[in-house]
Amino acid sequence: MGNLIGQKRLKTSVGWAARVALLYLIVIALVPPPPRALLGAAHTVETEKPHVCVHTRLIDEVDEWKIAQSLQYVREMGASTIVEFFPWAYVESSPDQYNWASVDRILCHVQNQGLRVIARIGFVPDWARSTDQEHTSTLNTLTPEFYADFAEFAADFAARYAGVIDHFIIWNEPNLAFEWGFQAVDPLNYVELLRTVYPAVKRANPDAVILAAPLAPTLEPRGSPNGLNDLLYLEALYQNGAANYFDALAIHTYGFTHAADDPPAADVLNFRRAELLRAIMIRYGDEDTPAYITETGWNDSPRWTNAVSPSQRIAETIRAFELAEEWDWLTSMCVWVFRIPAPTFNYPDYFTLVNVDFQRKPIYYALRAYARGFAQSEMLWLPPPAE
Amino acid sequence: MASTARRISQLLPFTWVWWILGALLPLAAFPRTPSPVTIWEAFPRGEIRVGVDASHAPFAAYVNDSLVGIDIDLASALAAQIGVPVRFVPLGFDGLYDALYADQIDVLIAAIPRDTSRGDRVLYTPAYFEAGIALVTPRSSTITQMADVSGRRLAYEFGSSAHSEADIWARRILPFGHMPYQFAAHALDAVRVGDADAALVETVAAHLYMRAHPEWDAHMPQVVLSIPYVMALRIDRPSQAVMITAALEHLRESGALDTLISRWL
Repeated sequence: MGNLIGQKRLKTSVGWAARVALLYLIVIALVPPPPRALLGAAHTVETEKPHVCVHTRLIDEVDEWKIAQSLQYVREMGASTIVEFFPWAYVESSPDQYNWASVDRILCHVQNQGLRVIARIGFVPDWARSTDQEHTSTLNTLTPEFYADFAEFAADFAARYAGVIDHFIIWNEPNLAFEWGFQAVDPLNYVELLRTVYPAVKRANPDAVILAAPLAPTLEPRGSPNGLNDLLYLEALYQNGAANYFDALAIHTYGFTHAADDPPAADVLNFRRAELLRAIMIRYGDEDTPAYITETGWNDSPRWTNAVSPSQRIAETIRAFELAEEWDWLTSMCVWVFRIPAPTFNYPDYFTLVNVDFQRKPIYYALRAYARGFAQSEMLWLPPPAE
Repeated sequence: MASTARRISQLLPFTWVWWILGALLPLAAFPRTPSPVTIWEAFPRGEIRVGVDASHAPFAAYVNDSLVGIDIDLASALAAQIGVPVRFVPLGFDGLYDALYADQIDVLIAAIPRDTSRGDRVLYTPAYFEAGIALVTPRSSTITQMADVSGRRLAYEFGSSAHSEADIWARRILPFGHMPYQFAAHALDAVRVGDADAALVETVAAHLYMRAHPEWDAHMPQVVLSIPYVMALRIDRPSQAVMITAALEHLRESGALDTLISRWL
């Protein structure tokens, strides 16, 4: 009797399980498929200014069609190169367990649009952070005991994408405490990181071009908890033998509230500060090493104290590209930033060329006109109203 | 009774799970009342460490090496209300949340809106300021919302967020006249002198302009794009959020928040 009841219960359970499974299949069938981004015919970039480049932020994009749309707009603007961030933490979330899907997804569209990529790598996975820093470490906290792991990731990355990506920026703005994971900013530690990564990547891809990390333009003095002056930091890199471990220098230079033509000075943060970094390279006998400006631009936030008006932003950005044409030591100049996946509702939104919803801003059209030699309307705004 | 139980067990598989859930249900009806939090429990360092973005006027900026602005005054008022000293930690925008996560600060008061993607790590207070994009018209105007702009002239700053917003509205409503100016102040001038019927500008710019032109009887009938500023705290320290939210609400109800903001706008 007990056996019969047991069988009956089993049958009932199986029946319910079948119903749930059927319901699940029906729901799955009703859910619309995600939009697909099909690759069309391969493109090439049409440009008259091959040094025009933009920094994209595609890795956090959920929808593939947004990656495709962004890169199409980049190509149509006449930019031949992009800088894109590829976080170590996204690819190797467990030791030796790689998931390249997000990188592959971007690169198939990059290739389809005929663009060149400079890859910036950084962001430390949880497993590669010191346990004694559990409460204070961030995604930017990389301690020396994990340099070899980072180098291994960089080498795997370089080997996998050899021929597609040959330019690598190792870390970002290590002269800022925030970008150095709130550890004490230390040029010697960064040299050690380069010394570990450089040979590993070169073994993986002999054609790889290693760019030393761009430094944040800052006037922070020695001993500041926030960071270290970029000029002092670069000097320290050379003094500690970094020149043997990079093939090009990445530079970040912003105009802030200054005109593009304003002359450089050690105590001023402006666009031509790049010339001071170049002077340091020459002083240390590194004049044959090229530089890439991997972030530049002006900001047109109405509230940020370091911003200008949208019309000034356009004029200064175009003037900066004209100046850069005369710098034979410069390979590319990349505008920060093409588009961001989600708005911050703060001044970073005002660095973009294209809104989150793919509205192209007037500065996009101005850069397109410059890069592709298009004529642009003289009359962009009305004269001030008379009282 | 046994027959009812059997029928239930036939209707619902894994009967024991349902019995446990049923037993736990009454507990949900009587949530534990949290015991009042003391200042020392909420702020064991004996101070409130406030992260600010000192590059965002008029919310926080350096004037003669001193931090000033709405966020600075608000933080000071909140700390006074709670009864602890305040210490300001100036941060760059990129490092705001990392400083919170890394326990460098207790609260961010830095002209930031709510970021839902950070909901797993951050608690937000109610808004203390509306910093969006608003329609500005003379108070006598019949324009009270964007739909009323159809067939009229709309002024805005060329290349600004208001320009983008105007382009969006151009696809939503019947045609209107676009009047781009080089600066937001010119767009507001145009409405004031009658060259345009309405302007679309960020609320802070509108407040500042109207303060500079007290003779002009204008108002903001509609916030077209809302960007409410809030404060952010660590999710693992809810007692801090409770105290700061209570202090904010006290400032709001007493009128002190409006007074504080009106000193700047």
